[in-house]
Amino acid sequence: MAYLELKNVNKYYAGVAAVHDFNLDIEKGSLVSFLGPSGCGKTTTLRMIAGFEQLDSGTIRLDGTDIVPVPPNRRDIGMVFQSYALFPNMTVRENVAFGLQMKKTPKAKINQQVDTVLEMVRLQDTAKRFPHQLSGGQQQRIALARALAVEPRVLLLDEPLSALDAEVRVVLRGEIRRIQSELAITTIYVTHDQEEALSISDKVVVMNKGLIEQVGAPEEIYRAPNTRFVATFIGTANQFLGKISGKNLVVCNNVELSTSSLAGFNSDQSVVVLVRPENIQVQAEQSRQKGWNSVAGKVETITFHGAITRLGVNVNGQRVVADITVANTQPVSLNQSLWLQFPPEACQVMAVEE
Amino acid sequence: MAKSQSTQTHGSSKKVRPAGWQIFMVAFFLFYMLVPIISTYAFSVATRWDRTILPEGYTLEFYQRAFSASYFTITLRNSLILSLSTVLVSMLVIIPTVYWVHTRLVGAKPLLDVLMILPFGIPMVVLALALVQVYNFPPMARSPFLLIGAVVIYSMPFMYRPISNAIQAVDANVLTEAGQSLGANIFQVLYRIIIPNILPGILSGSLLVFSTVFAEYTLTSLIVGARFKTFPLLLVEFTRINGNVASAFSVISFTIAWLVSILILWVGSMGHTSKAKTI
Repeated sequence: MAYLELKNVNKYYAGVAAVHDFNLDIEKGSLVSFLGPSGCGKTTTLRMIAGFEQLDSGTIRLDGTDIVPVPPNRRDIGMVFQSYALFPNMTVRENVAFGLQMKKTPKAKINQQVDTVLEMVRLQDTAKRFPHQLSGGQQQRIALARALAVEPRVLLLDEPLSALDAEVRVVLRGEIRRIQSELAITTIYVTHDQEEALSISDKVVVMNKGLIEQVGAPEEIYRAPNTRFVATFIGTANQFLGKISGKNLVVCNNVELSTSSLAGFNSDQSVVVLVRPENIQVQAEQSRQKGWNSVAGKVETITFHGAITRLGVNVNGQRVVADITVANTQPVSLNQSLWLQFPPEACQVMAVEE
Repeated sequence: MAKSQSTQTHGSSKKVRPAGWQIFMVAFFLFYMLVPIISTYAFSVATRWDRTILPEGYTLEFYQRAFSASYFTITLRNSLILSLSTVLVSMLVIIPTVYWVHTRLVGAKPLLDVLMILPFGIPMVVLALALVQVYNFPPMARSPFLLIGAVVIYSMPFMYRPISNAIQAVDANVLTEAGQSLGANIFQVLYRIIIPNILPGILSGSLLVFSTVFAEYTLTSLIVGARFKTFPLLLVEFTRINGNVASAFSVISFTIAWLVSILILWVGSMGHTSKAKTI
């Protein structure tokens, strides 16, 4: 039995489903991300776990007991907010000690615990300051320390890094992951930033329009997306619409693509072939590798991203995106004709509802 | 326009000389505000002041008469009781209401805003007479309790506005949720988190209510009259007997209002200074 279980959870706002038939098991000590565009229901789900929103139906069980009837202050679930939500009238130390005071922990124990968590977030020397005297990143560390001080059964993080600078975000997400693994605390992390979700999670839950699209390990989500939404929301994917024309063959826009196994599809079925830009090789001449797909196109855009350069190539009127790395590339110029090549394994085929 | 231009040409580091009309406006404002107060002070110590520009002589006799007036202490006490209980009741009603509306019943806020203008729209004579007729049974009939109830209504906007603005400035919803997730119940959230953060609003509301109620005449006179004589009643009584003594009463009333204001501000700033020391 999983540590935290959500079963058939539904939530409606004015008749519209914000979260629909949500089922999820979360193992003790793991870090699970809820990832999706804004309005997908990820924050609503988190707030239902915290107790700030009521379920319309379904159950949430924590360590075997139903927590739906339990008020938020007795759930023993810590929360970190996007806006930090530190108490402005209290010093850092008082903020961190607050939860322990509510639990009527003895004073000596409180002091010791506050020191421990402040050390964990590396901000011992700010204890006597007030929140407004700290930077955003420091405030969020304190908020994290405050939530951890009471040793909650589950830690919820609601877009904790969204209000911070890009640089601070990257550092802090590493810190969050480090502390989470050190304490082995069951954590749910809500974000709309795919890079954030992929880099720190044990498991990613991709959500869209109140529904779970896919649950899986970060690599799984990226390499084998279940739905078109996941494929395009996580990373970039070229989409070729076409019809199945033979054994492992799909005709898209008058070009025949050979793909990996098409078991489970009917002949003549409409499908979409998804190819990630990094799996496409760019060649000046057609020196076709055996079995690979090869299409001709003309370079329309060149965007430099540092480690890679992204090309926008016009293939029979369709824009195809391909990434080239600095190491293996001969210079490419605008309007240059070239060949895009990719192996059948790089093609993922999905059915299209007609 | 003129101001922004001069700021631009002189730059922000140099002090901008105020224009003539600005000096005039400030002088006019001070004149308008200060002349009545200064005149009242002067009249309270003047021997005779009807044939000359300045008083002909000065005396403290009227203060002596004021302090030795038979009802002096008791009216002062009644006024303090009335003002302080009004402040207290008003806080107890307004703080939880404003908090509740801001966190759980956001839709009701416009309604509350309109309700809080109503006391300004109802003539006090009408309010007083209506209350006296409705609450004509003991223990309410013409009692200080009824009076407190009435002045709470009448002074409510003064308490509501500053507190509402203060709570708007802190994100009460998120602070509440943060408190709850740390195990605090709703009373602990209010007492430990919300109230300390809106304290400046509560203080300025209390200040406005205290000084308004301390000088309240109409409701007191119509609802309780001589049964619970307050300081303004005594003052008005003396305007019919001796203007100089009435002026002395006014000065005493100002002074008390100022002292209480300073006291409230001092109490309010204590929290801040003690914080500053711990840094």
